[in-house]
Amino acid sequence: MLKLPCNGVDRVHLMSQCGFMGRPTSFFTGRSSVKGFRSTKAYPVQAVASAKDGAVVNRVEADIGSLANRLRLGSLSEDGLSYKEKFIVRSYEVGINKTATVETVANLLQEVGCNHAQIVGFSTDGFATTTTMRKYHLIWVTARMHIEVYKYPAWSDVVEIETWCQAEGRAGTRRDFIIKDYATNEVIGRATSKWVMMNEDTRRLQKVSDDVRDEFLVYCPRELRLAIPEENSNCLKKIPKLGDPAHNSRLGLMPRRSDLDMNQHVNNVAYIGWVPESMPQEIIDSYELQSITLDYRRECQQNDIVDSLTSVEALEGAEVVPELKSTNGSGKAMDDKQERQQFLHLLRLSNEGLEINRGRTEWRKKAAR
Amino acid sequence: MVAAAAAFFPVTSSLPDSGGNKIGAGNANLGGLKSKHVSAGLQVKANAHAPPKINGTKVSTSVENYKHEDVLPSSQSSRTFINQLPDWSMLLAAITTIFLAAEKQWMMLDWKPRRSDMLIDPFGIGKIVQDGLVFSENFSIRSYEIGADRTASIDTIMNHLQETALNHVKTAGLLGDGFGSTPEMCKKNLIWVVARMQVVVDRYPTWGDVVHVETWVSASGKNGMRRDWLLRDYNTGEILTRASSVWVMMNKHTRKLSKIPEEVRGEIGSYFVESAPILEEDDRKLAKLDDSTADYIRSGLSPRWSDLDVNQHVNNVKYIGWILESAPQSILESHELCAMTLEYRRECGKDSVLQSLISVYDAGVGNLAQSGRIECQHLLRLEDGAEIVRGRTKWRPKPVNHFDIANQVPAGST
Repeated sequence: MLKLPCNGVDRVHLMSQCGFMGRPTSFFTGRSSVKGFRSTKAYPVQAVASAKDGAVVNRVEADIGSLANRLRLGSLSEDGLSYKEKFIVRSYEVGINKTATVETVANLLQEVGCNHAQIVGFSTDGFATTTTMRKYHLIWVTARMHIEVYKYPAWSDVVEIETWCQAEGRAGTRRDFIIKDYATNEVIGRATSKWVMMNEDTRRLQKVSDDVRDEFLVYCPRELRLAIPEENSNCLKKIPKLGDPAHNSRLGLMPRRSDLDMNQHVNNVAYIGWVPESMPQEIIDSYELQSITLDYRRECQQNDIVDSLTSVEALEGAEVVPELKSTNGSGKAMDDKQERQQFLHLLRLSNEGLEINRGRTEWRKKAAR
Repeated sequence: MVAAAAAFFPVTSSLPDSGGNKIGAGNANLGGLKSKHVSAGLQVKANAHAPPKINGTKVSTSVENYKHEDVLPSSQSSRTFINQLPDWSMLLAAITTIFLAAEKQWMMLDWKPRRSDMLIDPFGIGKIVQDGLVFSENFSIRSYEIGADRTASIDTIMNHLQETALNHVKTAGLLGDGFGSTPEMCKKNLIWVVARMQVVVDRYPTWGDVVHVETWVSASGKNGMRRDWLLRDYNTGEILTRASSVWVMMNKHTRKLSKIPEEVRGEIGSYFVESAPILEEDDRKLAKLDDSTADYIRSGLSPRWSDLDVNQHVNNVKYIGWILESAPQSILESHELCAMTLEYRRECGKDSVLQSLISVYDAGVGNLAQSGRIECQHLLRLEDGAEIVRGRTKWRPKPVNHFDIANQVPAGST
């Protein structure tokens, strides 16, 4: 399967033993566009394991000991196939529940994915592409993101996030994450994301040819390793389009400057912020976000205006209360004694109604304080 | 010493008890070390561990090779030592040499030793230094904290200021409620409210930089408090940013200003440093803009859930992002914010809809390529006109950035 010589694996071991590895020297020049990682085109994975990877290793070793890398509390695993990093939750990352917001979690996932990519030698212009991808003008695009949080960390908690990636079918890649409370080693969250390749000129999705695939497979676990192995998980389910009219909406949302990446596209985390904008206040007050699944369909630019729409989705096996379906806008009929609630979401461009994202969220009742 | 070496590879972690709170406690012990003043605000601390570990004749032979990061042999050499007849003069000479070498290392360390210091505090909780009056903490810049111009955004800097302020209060044992209210203040329903903030940025850190932040408080008038910050590049010691803020005490229910009660003064008075403000106060009046005097207005700004704190008020730092929303793209592309003065007037909540007004002075907007410094006046207000923040910003042309030249990843390279 692999066209690479076996020493590709040896080089992985060599690199992983470096512990804190220096950044490739070209990194600094490209890190400038780190915001690009936050675009739908960015990040994950994959090493540059081309015939030139000897050069990769040399360059990396030359940078060992750079202070920031020693301070970055992350490193590749022993087998070089996954990456772990620790983060401390800062006060400004904490929200109304005195715990980290889901945006903070999403930012940390992005950070760890970003750091994994650069530590294995991917392109550092913000796109995390391999040599062959650049040859064909291919870039990564997020297709789906699913984040589950069982216990949100609080200010000054330390979390440890492990991430790895693998091929998904012929056309895609997935990047998985496990989030642990560093103090207790308890798993507090899991996430998985799906990425496809797009031709950056035609903006069309493209199937991946073998040489492209094999280049990055070297840094993926051979055996399937899923952060969320359950078959009935929401991360696998199709997300239908909301019925019209939606139960709740918030129109006229605008991207801020801080939402934009180097290429003036809205980064993934901003969408996660827009989804709950159309949630009823009662839910936000008494429930906590258990999971969010987003399907990315279209990019959003700085001058776009976005509508956020939400409707209740009946949980499987639960009775659908008839009043809920006809509720429009107020959400009062929602039974908030339920332990769990589930909602469908739509983010669309205000002007033409084109879909940007579809989403599904699950909420659990907050513990009484 | 051993601690420093152990912390060198924290992944295999022999970190002292790494729980959220426990790390803080562990570092509080380190904070207890009295620091040597090498220069204003700089300490050498970790190496205070070094002398006790130095041991016996074994060490004397390796004194020439002594580096402060070496873990010196301990029990093994002492056993060797004990088995030999002690030669006291040799021993004395050895110990003296060692201490002199250590001291020499100490002196040379100046700014450098922060490295081991930093590694002991890998999660950046920070510590109180200088007899408990100054709090210091280190931050490495994360990728999502970088703005569109490849440097840490002003929001990131302001977030770090907030974090260190809270960590200072927390580490000093004065955190009553997570907002900087002391226990006595909580009892009386008093809160600190920021009235004024001034920030001067000399250089923005980029990804990979480590920023060393120091903060301390002083009295401001009879009933106010001033909190100052000094941000330096951890590696070079270069000053990156200076900031100063003025706080007043307010009753959180009545929203009326309050004097500092005696009980609170008892809690915090000993933390007040008598020092000149880190920044000369910019006391020029901030004019109020209106629709006719503003050059640009951006409306429809609304808080998201993640902008809110526990009381569902918008975090102060978010205002700065909104203030800059009305700045024309051309200014943001060619200039960088070098100074900012803000007067906070009112808070806002989730349902607020805001407008950001800006007027630009000292430069022709259409001729930015030629212009030097720009000064702007700002107003952030609710749609009904109620003022949230008034501000003044100064901008300078962006430094020439070699990143711009080298940004392309050449085809065929990795």
